[in-house]
Amino acid sequence: MDANARYNQLIQDLRMELRPQREWGDGKGLYLVVGHFFNGLACGAWLFSLLFGQTTGLLAAYLMGIIGGVTHLMFLGRPARFWRMVRQQKTAWVSRGFLGLSLFLAGATLYLAPIYLPGLLWSEGSLLSTIGYVAAMLGMIGIMGYMGFVYTASKAVPFWNSPLHPALYVSYSLRGGVAVLFVTSWLVPPAKDLTPILLPLWGGITAVVALLFALEIHGALTGGNEAARRSVHDLLAGRVSGYFYLGTLALGLVLPAYFMYAGMSGATTTGLMALLGLASAVGDFFMKFSTLRAGVFLPVWTHLSHQRR
Amino acid sequence: MRWGMVIDLKRCIACYGCQLACKAEHGTPPGVFFARVLKHEEGQFPSVRQLFLPVLCNHCEEPPCVDVCPTGASSKNDADGIVSIDPDVCVGCRSCMMACPYSNRYFNDKPQHYFPQGPTPFEQRRGADHQRDVVMKCNFCKDRVAAGKEPACVANCVTVARVFGDLDDPNSEVSRLIKERGGFPLHPELGTKPSVYYLPA
Ligand code: SF4
Ligand code: SF4
Repeated sequence: MDANARYNQLIQDLRMELRPQREWGDGKGLYLVVGHFFNGLACGAWLFSLLFGQTTGLLAAYLMGIIGGVTHLMFLGRPARFWRMVRQQKTAWVSRGFLGLSLFLAGATLYLAPIYLPGLLWSEGSLLSTIGYVAAMLGMIGIMGYMGFVYTASKAVPFWNSPLHPALYVSYSLRGGVAVLFVTSWLVPPAKDLTPILLPLWGGITAVVALLFALEIHGALTGGNEAARRSVHDLLAGRVSGYFYLGTLALGLVLPAYFMYAGMSGATTTGLMALLGLASAVGDFFMKFSTLRAGVFLPVWTHLSHQRR
Repeated sequence: MRWGMVIDLKRCIACYGCQLACKAEHGTPPGVFFARVLKHEEGQFPSVRQLFLPVLCNHCEEPPCVDVCPTGASSKNDADGIVSIDPDVCVGCRSCMMACPYSNRYFNDKPQHYFPQGPTPFEQRRGADHQRDVVMKCNFCKDRVAAGKEPACVANCVTVARVFGDLDDPNSEVSRLIKERGGFPLHPELGTKPSVYYLPA
């Protein structure tokens, strides 16, 4: 969208009492969704790869962390000033996320270097490698937390302003991590087939995601204000419902659930499981995208009308 | 001290004088409105009424926009309560726009002048300090205030609906009006403690 079109859109939006947010998720704002998506996958993949000893998964997590970092930079209006974002650790979740991502990437570099470049630099189990392990872990926790809390701190958009959002984002991360392992296990088959562990793990985390999401929608509909209810309407029956039904539900839930059913019934291949992982990850992307785009600003009028009656 | 403003909704006639005076004072580009007038209709024909609400940054005492700013570009001056943005520090992450419950922040990525022929000499001069791709908002005309003048929207309000003063001084006109006429801020339930109050119509 060019500058004039954005201007016309803003003028139109400013006339609405329930104004949709467009800064995050629209136009250049799409980079933020992509950044959150890849960083979410990176965190989950790092955690499960460590748990299951998957070095390919660790490398994939590292690369996705880099992609997430770059797309976050591309979202900024003034990316050259990015380093300033570390300053407000006391109050700003974006600062914490920035620190988390920096720690993760630095730590993962230290930890992965001896694994992928053996004998060249420091060795596995050395002090540097251990420091890398701890830093990447702390960074991973920081990123997982930051993504949800950044929305919860957004007072202007009541739909995101829910205490469940951080838990939801952590569970997306975990689901994404399993999805990545499905794909990496297909690309570089591990010594021991992980499918019997990953499949129920994916199913369990997906059930948690669905429950948290249903609770959030229920909370917005029953306890939320006009703007939160409008967001739910836009998500389920309005301007972003297409992304939600096709991307999140059909691609991200129904299709992988079918693959899971096929896998559980025994007719499984690593290729099928990789497809499950891919569909699940694409579904998570659309989930993040559609909830972001469904955001509606709190109307300024609410209190005033009340005063005048 | 804490600068604040009182807007008398009984006096406001929605002439947009404040909005234009603000545009002239700050030379804000298209798509950036430090001051705006909202209109709203209530009821059904034949008993319909129109409500007007002039809005600007509330210079909140507990500003959520400052808390979420990762760079410290958004800050509140504790000496006078004015919340402002340092355009040299802002990274354009727009977190503050998502935190301001009053929609009073604007991302300056839209056209930089009003006429297709290019910027007028006025726009060039007034807009010289504006940066693109950063967030902008009202700063209570702090340069005018420092020079002992009123903010442009107050000085140019034809119906004298706006009063500017020190909220910390119980004898100031703003404090008196709030007390005597039942002044109220927007969305007090959010705990942001705005410094802009409205007098009921
Ligand atoms: S009105 Fe919005 S921009 Fe102004 S101080 Fe309050 S929260 Fe910040
Ligand atoms: S857009 Fe600028 S002022 Fe707003 S939160 Fe980001 S850095 Fe701070």
